[in-house]
Amino acid sequence: MNSGDSSKSGGPALRIENVDKNYGTFQALRKVNLSVERGERIVVCGPSGSGKSTMIRCINRLEQHNGGKITVLGTELNDDVANIDGIRREVGMVFQHFNLFPHMTVLENLTIAPMIVRKVPRAEAEATARRYLDKVRIPEQAMKFPGQLSGGQQQRVAIARALCMQPQIMLFDEPTSALDPEMIAEVLDVMVTLASEGMTMICVTHEMGFARKVADRVVFMDAGEIVEEAPPEEFFTASRNERTRQFLSQVLGH
Amino acid sequence: MEVVVAPPAPGKLEDLKRRFFATPLQALLSLISLAIMVFLAWKLLNWAVFSAVFTVTGGPEACQAAAGACWSVIAARWRIILFGLYPFEEQWRSALACLTVVVMTVLSCIPAFWTGRRIAIVWGAGTGLFYVLMKGGLLGLPYVGEEAWGGLALTLFIFVTTCLIGFPLAICLALMRRSELPWISRTTGLIIDGVRSLPLISILFTFAIVLPFALPQWMAGDKLYRVILGSALFFSAYQAEIVRGGMQGVPAGQEEAAMALGMSYWQRIGRIVLPQAMRNALPATINQFVISFKETSLVVIVGFFEILASGNAAYGTGEWRFAYVEVYAFIAFIYFIFVFSLSRYGAFLERRMAVGER
Repeated sequence: MNSGDSSKSGGPALRIENVDKNYGTFQALRKVNLSVERGERIVVCGPSGSGKSTMIRCINRLEQHNGGKITVLGTELNDDVANIDGIRREVGMVFQHFNLFPHMTVLENLTIAPMIVRKVPRAEAEATARRYLDKVRIPEQAMKFPGQLSGGQQQRVAIARALCMQPQIMLFDEPTSALDPEMIAEVLDVMVTLASEGMTMICVTHEMGFARKVADRVVFMDAGEIVEEAPPEEFFTASRNERTRQFLSQVLGH
Repeated sequence: MEVVVAPPAPGKLEDLKRRFFATPLQALLSLISLAIMVFLAWKLLNWAVFSAVFTVTGGPEACQAAAGACWSVIAARWRIILFGLYPFEEQWRSALACLTVVVMTVLSCIPAFWTGRRIAIVWGAGTGLFYVLMKGGLLGLPYVGEEAWGGLALTLFIFVTTCLIGFPLAICLALMRRSELPWISRTTGLIIDGVRSLPLISILFTFAIVLPFALPQWMAGDKLYRVILGSALFFSAYQAEIVRGGMQGVPAGQEEAAMALGMSYWQRIGRIVLPQAMRNALPATINQFVISFKETSLVVIVGFFEILASGNAAYGTGEWRFAYVEVYAFIAFIYFIFVFSLSRYGAFLERRMAVGER
């Protein structure tokens, strides 16, 4: 599967070491440590404002960390722009609000980055795009504009858009939180399929059913710290941590 | 089950009655307004058509005898209005040059020409052709210096070159003002605010008259190009703020998504941010174009005879002195054609860009 990692084969997909992130005086991340192996599926959860989104946005440098070290696919994130662009090519991201490009058709949304970033010829990029549209089960929407699709369809296009870059890691930043309830399942289904194919995934989500089903590890964050890290059965049934148990009772309570 | 039937739509006559003749007072006011409008329309039509003189044969005397408009002044003087002081024998070149600008503009308004290479070819060839036609000096065309250019051709030339230089400059300024480096964004902000705080006339005057003293001879260039540079700078300061406003309307998530896909700064700006920003900024941009088109008339202050000044000259010489209203009406009509096409094109663009919006 991961044939593109010839230079940096072996080693973890991602290593976050002692990472701090401040917004002015507010400390969003405090000495965060996390290591993710290739093919691992991580679900990150926690109360709002706990730093989950900040952490995964640091992984592709949408946010800049202030201290510590982040190594993605063997490359350390620093101020080197070429490095950052290189990492972003290998790390796909799906956002809460989809962020599809509204002035382009679905097909153009899917082909633009492979064509201008990876220099893939148009015919090949379009073939890949159609394949991924098939995969997310909306092949018939290729010529529509994002504004003409439902939220669930838009989010599936966004997943396909990220996949078209053939990334080695996928980041999901609350992909279902902005969706109407009846559309959540169609997006989660696509993510489950992706997980079953061995994609390295880091998902910030409140979908505990999804976590139980696909996660290798669940990471619980609170107040900028990773409080607990455990396999799902242990996390949901036998958490030793008071804050985790409190959060779970709130999420699963009713 | 109760069936709800919509009340029948009122007929034309019924509708008219409801809107304008609901009460006796309203009916009276409506009738009075109608009478005034009919009277004014009749007066105008009578002046412009029925009592007007169209033939040039009678000369100014025929006009003065008639009660209506004297359109013979246009027939007699249209060449001065359209071509200014351009040599009479060579005025066909000026006419062709105007046509070149119009064709070039129309072509670049067609979506099929919106690729970098095609636009560059159209504008490169167009401005080159315009310049050769107007200036001559090669291909057997006699040389005509910029100081002799005038009329519509000069107005179009100043407008088009102002936009051609000013628009890219505006985008540069807008991007620099958004820069994360404070010394760039602050300096740019200062330049934009500085230029905007000056009246256009003073900028034109400075570039035309004062600049040659400050610059070495080889840098000064012809007065016309300095004036165009000044007006482009003025245009770009306003347009930069319009573009910046358009960019602020693009959600931050758009650029983040582009970043996450590995696009470089210029790819993000060129493919994602600017296209959406320009869509947001379109109405204000068209407005700015219209204003700039009309502001070209200010170059008369530094001695250029664009269309309005040429019109002045057309009636200014003795015999047609009385016919200034007709000359100005004619010039207003020319302005109207250009400005109206511009705003219609803006409306077309808005409709086209609305595709895909919910």
